Amino acid sequence: MTQTEHLVKRLPNDIGGLPAEPIRQVDHELEPWEKRCHALADVLDFHKIINTEEKRCGVEALGAEMAGRLSYYERWIVAFSNILFRKGILAPAELARKMDEVEARWAAGQAHEGPGRAPP
Amino acid sequence: MQGESCGGAKARSGIVYALGEVPVFRPGDRIRILTRSPIGHYRVPIYLRGKTGSVEAVIEPAGIDNEEEGYGRNAGEKLHYYRIALPMTEIWPEYAGSPRDGLRIEVFETWLERI
Amino acid sequence: MTVPRQGHDHHHHDHDHDHPHAEIARSERPGYYEIMETAVRELLVESKLIGPDEIRRQIEVLDSRSPALGAKVVARAWIDPAFRARLLADGRKACEELGVSFYDDTQLIVLENTEQVHNLIVCTLCSCYPRSVLGLPPDWYKLKPYRSRAVSEPRAVLAEFGTIIPDDVEVRVSDSTAMVRYLVLPRRPEGTKHYGEEQLASLVTRDTMIGVVPASLDAGRTAP
Repeated sequence: MTQTEHLVKRLPNDIGGLPAEPIRQVDHELEPWEKRCHALADVLDFHKIINTEEKRCGVEALGAEMAGRLSYYERWIVAFSNILFRKGILAPAELARKMDEVEARWAAGQAHEGPGRAPP
Repeated sequence: MQGESCGGAKARSGIVYALGEVPVFRPGDRIRILTRSPIGHYRVPIYLRGKTGSVEAVIEPAGIDNEEEGYGRNAGEKLHYYRIALPMTEIWPEYAGSPRDGLRIEVFETWLERI
Repeated sequence: MTVPRQGHDHHHHDHDHDHPHAEIARSERPGYYEIMETAVRELLVESKLIGPDEIRRQIEVLDSRSPALGAKVVARAWIDPAFRARLLADGRKACEELGVSFYDDTQLIVLENTEQVHNLIVCTLCSCYPRSVLGLPPDWYKLKPYRSRAVSEPRAVLAEFGTIIPDDVEVRVSDSTAMVRYLVLPRRPEGTKHYGEEQLASLVTRDTMIGVVPASLDAGRTAP
């Protein structure tokens, strides 16, 4: 038995029965981007571009450190990006370029018209 | 010819059931959840591997293996999921609640064996 | 940030649907993940893999789902035994009778609380939740303490919510892992025989349908 098998055998999300602290009954109103991210998951599943199970698999594949430190929807959007790359739907450079463009747009402080803009 | 290649399931009406059509397990059947350790995506939590319980219900209709579905490829044939009942005392040797307490979980056919 | 209507010339604002605050560009820098989400969405729309209004529409779907729907289903089950029977036999179909559509492929098993059994739902592996009929789950449902402890020490978890179940009543935990979702049908509180359906629904909070608390006459005065 190696010292690392358990890391492979137990997915980071498989926590049923593990010791944990008392429950803090926290909740938060979703940020608009988080809600858009949830809607994106549903739309991707509807089109069977990324189904729900693929999403779960993608979140698991982030590994324990990212899964532990990214928030719920942060995990989703990174997982979607990875899956879209793997499927050849988006290219990493393409996404990076678009992210720079989105950031520049905001930095310029102007309302920019483009397709698929964020709903209010 | 009738029934023999499909596991012999033949209704009185003369219908021969197709592969995967007839659930392998029935409510009341005693089962064990297997102890295998898949690498990658799985949907049977570790805390239940190797535990014994009984089939409470067959989930209809048959469905694809969600562990295969996670990889976004042809996920193979449709088989059944089963709602499995397990006493908490079976799952947790040190269970501190009532001995009546129980757990339910849906498990895909390929994770179960009859005992 | 303004939201252009599809098909309009985007060089001028559409004043008929803009609110004043929407015309102002965001002053705070969006986070890394928000930028990623925006970029992914825009690329998918540009490639015509998703339609430009589909996200907006799905947000409306999500916003239309809340515990009020589940409460309506529960209240109907409390007063109509035939509906209750149909609900327990096929949860999704019975919800659809009341106009609660399911926008995904999931099924619904409704878990009836009785004198002998108290039900609790959890998803240890992720966050499966009956979203079509309850809306989005609270953060605590998705975080580790609830997910890990609900299956191993449910009574301690219930106690943290102020719920004590006698030892001669079974606490039954359902862990969602596949295509079935669960909804707890809480017991109807005593002293409500004369209540109308709407009044009954007001007693049914989100947490009663997760199973962490029983329905009670105090519902309106405490947190969900």
